[in-house]
Amino acid sequence: MKQLKTKSYGILIFSDYKKTSFKILYGVLIGILILTLLITIFPPLWLLLSSFKSASELYELPFSLFPKNLNLGKVKDVWSSLQFGNYYMNSIYVILGALVCSILFNGLLAYAVSVLKPKGYKLVYNMVLISLMIPAILNMGPLLNNIVNIGLSNSYLPLWLVYGANPFNFIMFKTFFDKLPSSLFDSAQIDGCNKIQLFYKIILPLSTPIIMVIGIFTINAAWSDFLLPFLVLNIDAKQTVMVKIYSLYSVMGTSMNFGPDKLLMVLALSVIPPVIFFLIFQKQITSSVATSGMKD
Amino acid sequence: MKQKMTSMIKKNLGGWLIMLPSIFLFLFFIWIPLFSNVSLSFYDTVGYTKETFVGLEKYEAVLTDPLFTKALLNTLLYTFWSVVIGFLVPIILAIILSEVVHLKGLFRTGIYFPNIVPGLATVIMWTFLMSPESGGVLNSLLSLFKIEPQRWLDSPTMVIPLIVITMTWKGFGATTLIYLATIQSIDSVYYEAARVEGASVWQRIRHVTIPNLSPLIRMLFILQIISVFQVFYEPLVMTSGGPNNASISLLQLVHRYVFRYGDASKAAALGVIVASMLFILTFVYLKLSKNADNT
Repeated sequence: MKQLKTKSYGILIFSDYKKTSFKILYGVLIGILILTLLITIFPPLWLLLSSFKSASELYELPFSLFPKNLNLGKVKDVWSSLQFGNYYMNSIYVILGALVCSILFNGLLAYAVSVLKPKGYKLVYNMVLISLMIPAILNMGPLLNNIVNIGLSNSYLPLWLVYGANPFNFIMFKTFFDKLPSSLFDSAQIDGCNKIQLFYKIILPLSTPIIMVIGIFTINAAWSDFLLPFLVLNIDAKQTVMVKIYSLYSVMGTSMNFGPDKLLMVLALSVIPPVIFFLIFQKQITSSVATSGMKD
Repeated sequence: MKQKMTSMIKKNLGGWLIMLPSIFLFLFFIWIPLFSNVSLSFYDTVGYTKETFVGLEKYEAVLTDPLFTKALLNTLLYTFWSVVIGFLVPIILAIILSEVVHLKGLFRTGIYFPNIVPGLATVIMWTFLMSPESGGVLNSLLSLFKIEPQRWLDSPTMVIPLIVITMTWKGFGATTLIYLATIQSIDSVYYEAARVEGASVWQRIRHVTIPNLSPLIRMLFILQIISVFQVFYEPLVMTSGGPNNASISLLQLVHRYVFRYGDASKAAALGVIVASMLFILTFVYLKLSKNADNT
């Protein structure tokens, strides 16, 4: 309660909190936030705990959040019978390529549009802005057809390159570059830097914060994506974690040895990496969401 | 003069060469598929090969398809429910979060947490939680209050609000943080002035917080409508559009035309229709955000 006595900003300040009614109100607010926290934490927690349950235990009454025993053997069993390590490696492989493409291509385009401004750059800028509002699924059919026609089905290349055409990342880069002082570029050019040198000697080192943010969002998006990867990767050995889960989910119940209890285990295994990742980078993630207005 | 010309060409050429690879990617992944959709929509097709020009026949086929009417209606219902369920929650939570001084970091992290759970995992997880079996999680919780087990996603009337709840659960944290940033940037001077004049808490919110927030509220409102209008994978995974097409959305119908019926040109025509609707919505959004910038 000490902190409330010094609060001097916002709707309610310390002088308000001298009244009991406001102290009660503050308690109610904390209560609402705790309830919200329960709603956001409960489902993933349930997933994690239930993944240890057996098939018969899953729908057993009375309901219990905790499994009867923490059967670590089940993790090992599911992991090795599905050879889940392979899908993890495939996902990591897709993420690495996506990371490079996302930063390189969107960064270079934003650099040209924001700093170099060659004649006609506005046309390119508008083209990118309009592509913001075209839902990916509308293009999926013709795009997939083109990918197959040029012989790139079951290749990771389209899954990497698609991150190079990301209007959100482009805009974030551009907004950042727009704020860099232009005197910097002039003096670099007087010193004889060419355009490419200007990019990687001057601009890239200054852009670590925005590269971090875009990198974090790209890793999360590439890990979670399943639509295009599902359509492009038909060979099981090439599939990513999310694609594998999507195909397992659609056959669940039809095969004797893969029931809902195992699906929950696989789901939990797919949620754990982003959660760990979030806990490491939570500061960067939550602060950049607030300032950039970007979601997902 | 000549030197000036060459230097001008040189300046522009370098910039264009740097843009070229990225432009190529935007063309390949977004613009070429878009244009082939527009052109496909006027033809009879076998796979993606155009056979005969049929004019607006495909558009007619889409507009007279009872599934289209159903999907359009459903999409409007998704939008309606997402406004009812998910619009006020982030605003209220952001105001509360800005006032609270205890455990602020924990609350902020916890509220954003669902955003990092992969979308596919989120929707499958909620499908399990809403299992219609009496031992399903929500049904078990209801039984504590002596409430009958519900059909949840199997109920044609509940299915859309329930999918919207899932979407809201996943997305409200990010929106809350955006509102929070703006609320925290409001100058304390305004609140002080309000206090001096003896304004009650509600009046302070009504006359200081809300007016400062309203450009952002307008913008995020339209943005939410645009994004819910594109609802697709949630019903695809959770219900495949069922029960009896009660939850099929417009974009899901595009997907169904292509990947279930193999009708590329009908899908293209529907795609063009949906894109035009989005274009109008985006136009409204841009108008509003311009106004928001000016205030």
